[in-house]
Amino acid sequence: MSSDEKPDGRTAAPRSLAEALRARDDASLAALLRARPDLITPVPTDLTQLATRAGTRASVVRALERLDRFALQTAEALAVAGDPASYDELLGLMTGDDGDATVAAALPRAVRTLREQALVWGGDDRLRLVRTARELLSPSPQHPSPTGLGPTVQEATAGMSPGRIQELVAAAGLPSTHDAVSAAAALTALFTDRERMAKLLGQAPAEAREVLSRLVWGPPYGQVTADPATHLRWLLDRGLLLPTAPGTVVLPREVALHLRGGRAHRETEPVPPPVEPAGPTGTRQGSPQVVDATAAGQAYTALATVEELLKDWDEGGPAVLRAGGLSVRDLKRTAVALDVSEPVAAFWVELAYAAGLIASDGEADERYAATPAHDEWRERPAADRWADLAGAWLAATRTAGLVGGRDAKDRTLAALGPGLDRSVAPEVRRRVLALLAALPAGTSPDPESVLARLRWERPLRGPQQEDDLRSRLARWTLQEAELLGVTGRGALSSHGRALLGAPEPHAADDAARTQGSPDVPDTPGDKLPVHHRAAPAGAPAAGSVPSGPADPQARAAARAAAARRLAPLLPEPLDHVLLQADLTAVAPGPLQRPLADVLDVLADVESKGGATVYRFTPASVRRALDAGRSASDLHAFLAAHSRTPVPQPLAYLIDDVARRHGHLRVGAASAYVRCDDDAVLNEILADKRSTALRLRRLAPTVLAAQADPAALLEGLRALGYAPAAESAEGDVVITRADARRTPPRTPPEPVPEGPPVPDATLLAAAVRAIRAGDLASTAPRKTPGTPPAPGELPRTSPAETLATVQAAVLTGEALWIGYVNADGAASQRVIAPVRVEGGFVTAYDHTADEVRTYPLHRITGVAELADD
Amino acid sequence: MNGPLIVQSDKTLLLEVDHEQADDCRRAIAPFAELERAPEHIHTYRVTPLGLWNARAAGHDAEQVVDALVQFSRYPVPHALLVDIAETMDRYGRLTLSKHPAHGLVLTTTDRPVLEEVLRSKRIAPLVGARIDPDTVAVHPSERGQIKQTLLKLGWPAEDLAGYVDGEAHPIALREDGWALRPYQHQAVENFWHGGSGVVVLPCGAGKTLVGAGAMAQAASTTLILVTNTVSARQWKHELVKRTTLTEDEIGEYSGTRKEIRPVTIATYQVLTTRRKGVYPHLELFDSRDWGLIVYDEVHLLPAPVFKFTADLQARRRLGLTATLVREDGRESDVFSLIGPKRFDAPWKEIEAQGYIAPADCVEVRVNLTDSERLAYATAEAEEKYRFCATTATKRKVTEAIVRRFAGQQVLVIGQYIDQLDELGEHLGAPVIKGETSNAQREKLFDAFRQGEISVLVVSKVANFSIDLPEATVAIQVSGTFGSRQEEAQRLGRVLRPKADGHQAHFYSVVARDTIDQDFAAHRQRFLAEQGYAYRIMDADELLAES
Repeated sequence: MSSDEKPDGRTAAPRSLAEALRARDDASLAALLRARPDLITPVPTDLTQLATRAGTRASVVRALERLDRFALQTAEALAVAGDPASYDELLGLMTGDDGDATVAAALPRAVRTLREQALVWGGDDRLRLVRTARELLSPSPQHPSPTGLGPTVQEATAGMSPGRIQELVAAAGLPSTHDAVSAAAALTALFTDRERMAKLLGQAPAEAREVLSRLVWGPPYGQVTADPATHLRWLLDRGLLLPTAPGTVVLPREVALHLRGGRAHRETEPVPPPVEPAGPTGTRQGSPQVVDATAAGQAYTALATVEELLKDWDEGGPAVLRAGGLSVRDLKRTAVALDVSEPVAAFWVELAYAAGLIASDGEADERYAATPAHDEWRERPAADRWADLAGAWLAATRTAGLVGGRDAKDRTLAALGPGLDRSVAPEVRRRVLALLAALPAGTSPDPESVLARLRWERPLRGPQQEDDLRSRLARWTLQEAELLGVTGRGALSSHGRALLGAPEPHAADDAARTQGSPDVPDTPGDKLPVHHRAAPAGAPAAGSVPSGPADPQARAAARAAAARRLAPLLPEPLDHVLLQADLTAVAPGPLQRPLADVLDVLADVESKGGATVYRFTPASVRRALDAGRSASDLHAFLAAHSRTPVPQPLAYLIDDVARRHGHLRVGAASAYVRCDDDAVLNEILADKRSTALRLRRLAPTVLAAQADPAALLEGLRALGYAPAAESAEGDVVITRADARRTPPRTPPEPVPEGPPVPDATLLAAAVRAIRAGDLASTAPRKTPGTPPAPGELPRTSPAETLATVQAAVLTGEALWIGYVNADGAASQRVIAPVRVEGGFVTAYDHTADEVRTYPLHRITGVAELADD
Repeated sequence: MNGPLIVQSDKTLLLEVDHEQADDCRRAIAPFAELERAPEHIHTYRVTPLGLWNARAAGHDAEQVVDALVQFSRYPVPHALLVDIAETMDRYGRLTLSKHPAHGLVLTTTDRPVLEEVLRSKRIAPLVGARIDPDTVAVHPSERGQIKQTLLKLGWPAEDLAGYVDGEAHPIALREDGWALRPYQHQAVENFWHGGSGVVVLPCGAGKTLVGAGAMAQAASTTLILVTNTVSARQWKHELVKRTTLTEDEIGEYSGTRKEIRPVTIATYQVLTTRRKGVYPHLELFDSRDWGLIVYDEVHLLPAPVFKFTADLQARRRLGLTATLVREDGRESDVFSLIGPKRFDAPWKEIEAQGYIAPADCVEVRVNLTDSERLAYATAEAEEKYRFCATTATKRKVTEAIVRRFAGQQVLVIGQYIDQLDELGEHLGAPVIKGETSNAQREKLFDAFRQGEISVLVVSKVANFSIDLPEATVAIQVSGTFGSRQEEAQRLGRVLRPKADGHQAHFYSVVARDTIDQDFAAHRQRFLAEQGYAYRIMDADELLAES
């Protein structure tokens, strides 16, 4: 790589990051801002401010966390190199003395990435890592670097006595120098000189070399006893191990680098690990057609499952927990109803929620219910319904996989509850699917290789974990995509691809992608924009394929495209079922909605899947009759939708249930009229004035009324009859005017105005107190400034205090004061007042032996010191 | 994507029988899927782990199973289901039972963690002996059946390669003079012999005895036959003498009355399970000879103690015969693991189509209770309700009407309650066979019925099994053992023997409307309805008006 490729290599060497940024062109600045969007919130006023902000710790940490593994390794190497370091020095650290063609080929890209992100600036001869990044990445005892390198000789000898350093220099066989700095430099020169160093180490005892080899790849720190063994002593004497703290020694960076053959990293990973196709595990790689068909089948199942969930919740879903979300019991019940495991049930529930199909109803007794949007959704074609679900899933930050886990406060995370949002989820989902999209159509990836690739793209700083959030999200994505029918048999389906907004893969492109060649500019290093902002027109994002459509229109277009691709793959709804004499009906495929709705009422579902098996039972037929259908309706319905004659037992069943249906009638009445003479009842019914009572004849001698008994009595009396009330047992109720009484009550207390009049005792006591106070203030003092009893603070009135202090200023005498500080603690001090002004007295405090200022109001009293 | 098969999420397979590829598909899925229901249009098969493992045992692999599903399925088969099938089948054969020259019976594994897992089970520990090497553990030979059954329950079925003992040789051959084994009987014998041990399921009247005889001829060794009762034992003997080279003297009967042990011995379940002072004295029958074959007739009735003895007989070939593997106690899987997997199964309607069993017209006649009966029924104690409605007087009128209608044909009236049967017998002028009827009397009456000397016979449930009444063309069921499905199947079997003149059989079930009798009837009919025997439902008034 030559320097003229880089925008900042063209001008004279910049002296700061700000200058380096100033030298960049607009596209390059835009690239920086796209990669680090936190820099433009708010928009910086000038490049100096931009550079400052780019150097803040939070922003640098964020940028580092978004580097791929090789770029991060490069940055780590720069952190242990000199500051500034030349490109060649960096190359040496990355490849080692032996050189590594792959690393050498990948390094320019890594450096370019670091430069683009403003983590590194300066020309190739003077590469500088931003200071904050250097602090974050360079090794220190508290934060060991992933390189496993220790401090330099210079750093490690900083606190050492000059004499000791000279001893080291002498022991290493070097001439002594004037000062510690040059001695350390001499040692550094020795350690970095491969030949001399090899010679020196050649003399080392075998155990000493063994110790070095243990420390060489880090951690570089070791423990030694106060009286080290001979071989350790040999190393310590020559500065090959340097003490850092009592009992601790460190392997200096230069020595480690010599032993490592100059490499900063044990293993460099210049090339992203390729996403491998899954091995033969009993089920073979499907052809694209098989994948599409399988995914479509699963997509259909997904729709059926969500619809079933909504149906289950149709007449009132489960209650909302007070903390929000679904109770474990309700989730279990839903899982049983859907015949899936609980985590899968949580996924469907969350999916329906993310798609806006269910929500809390917000009533006082809060429950989940279907939204009005659900009714619209239900009416749309199956493919569109799926695209809605899949689109909602792809963009959702809520992650169903977390359900059942525990949050930081050890509370269980409930489905639909708070705490399930993970902002990286959509990004990971898209990235995983993009990796799948990069494989040839119909190929399913090995999930572990997908995870390895993701870990390479976003390595965690610090120890690698198998179970970090991104890996878990990626695993969930693979599972959920399969459940949703975005993938089939693990491979991305064509409708899934359309949903991503990705074009059809080209064969040539595929090869390059799967190999992960670093020369394909958009493959290894591309970063997904975290923000959903359209890329500036002038600088189209390099990795536009995986990033997918960013704006709503593009996303809607992608959904529509996905629906278009899926539609022909979904089975055509049928308009008939097969009726059988064992009282079952089999729908050999999905049914048209009106047919399915009626059958759902008329029969119980026995098994689901590609087909639906319904069973007719007396209860199910009764349900249909209750829903307002007559037996002849049902016969006609079955005859219309069956391709074969309706079996006799089924027809008989319907007639038999219909025969008994409605045999008993139940209704509500609030009162009745009974009379042995039908003629009177006829009369009442015929009378127009009785309409208000809403009477209905149940039998020749009984009328039922919707009016309550009292109103009915009243009404009948108004009509000129003389009805009598009847009790529940049928006796005539004797009515008398009942005197109504409250439960026992006490009369109200009078409420006087103002405070109560005090009694004589209180008044006398008050007068005595007032008098005493008055006396105290007016009585002449016998001996002003009398010292109080030992151990008590002097007490004087404020006026007296002021006078005494002012007098003391004039006379220069010392005073004894009582003082209460701001905390209310009392103390006694001896002061010599110097000045009194503004309510403060400035005085030399004999007690504290210094000049202090005291607020007058905090001084409880003063007393002159005894003359002696 | 227009196959005859639909794969459901509950692992049932729906086969559209009218589809042109239906037969190919049936053949492809039969090795691993159980036929569960066979009504007129759509047959339901179920894929169970047991079925998949049996398929493995029979030499099929996951690839074939998955291929069959994918090839014939109308809709894409869920990937998860295919993976599940592959994984389930993969569990078979990790453990093998085999003979070891030094240690006798041993359990070996190809996957050490599996062996470790099963050895840790409390139920396995008492069945195994010393660990011979990391992959092998000795098994007590007497526990061969037990360990197989337990391993099956743990989900790691063992492949049994220990083989069978030949038993004491005894020449037996079929004497096919003027008759021959039917093709499906041949197939059943062949499947059984090839598989070693197992169960053959054939409809009543389809000639299960001949399958037994065929298997005996194939084995050509001493045979122990276990049957349900003495009458059935006599019929087996009769049939064997008639159809094979065996003579009367070679066949012994081991029952309550006679204790003969001959090269071919027929014993009743009852005598085997007789218990005196806490021991089963007749169990030594199993060890009294070196049997080469054990035949279990009506294996769905196999009593629980016999299960236990059977577990000890794993080295001998075992043949189970039944019409319905529906056990009301739900121990079907024990039958499969101890006697062997289902080796042959034919839908009833298929055999009927081939003309080997008579077509039957099944009718349920609903009688109304009178008003006073309804009131009495409503107030009856719960445990008395069924008896009350099943024995309603109205049924008598209906039964008489049916008998009148089929005057001149052989009619069986079958019921549960002796009082009801006695009363019916009196009104119909027909003899009644019940528990207290002596065996001699029973055989005399059966003979008279066979000869056509009497045309109506009233029988209690004693005659449920294995009585051969070749010319019964009409059966009238007036009451039953509550909702027993297999009893219903057995009773229908009474009239399914092919008729000399080829005409239709009739099966009437008389049921009291709006009572639990009707509910039980619905449950009883389910098995037959699922076998394709659709019931017509008639009102009693209609029937009475017709006659």
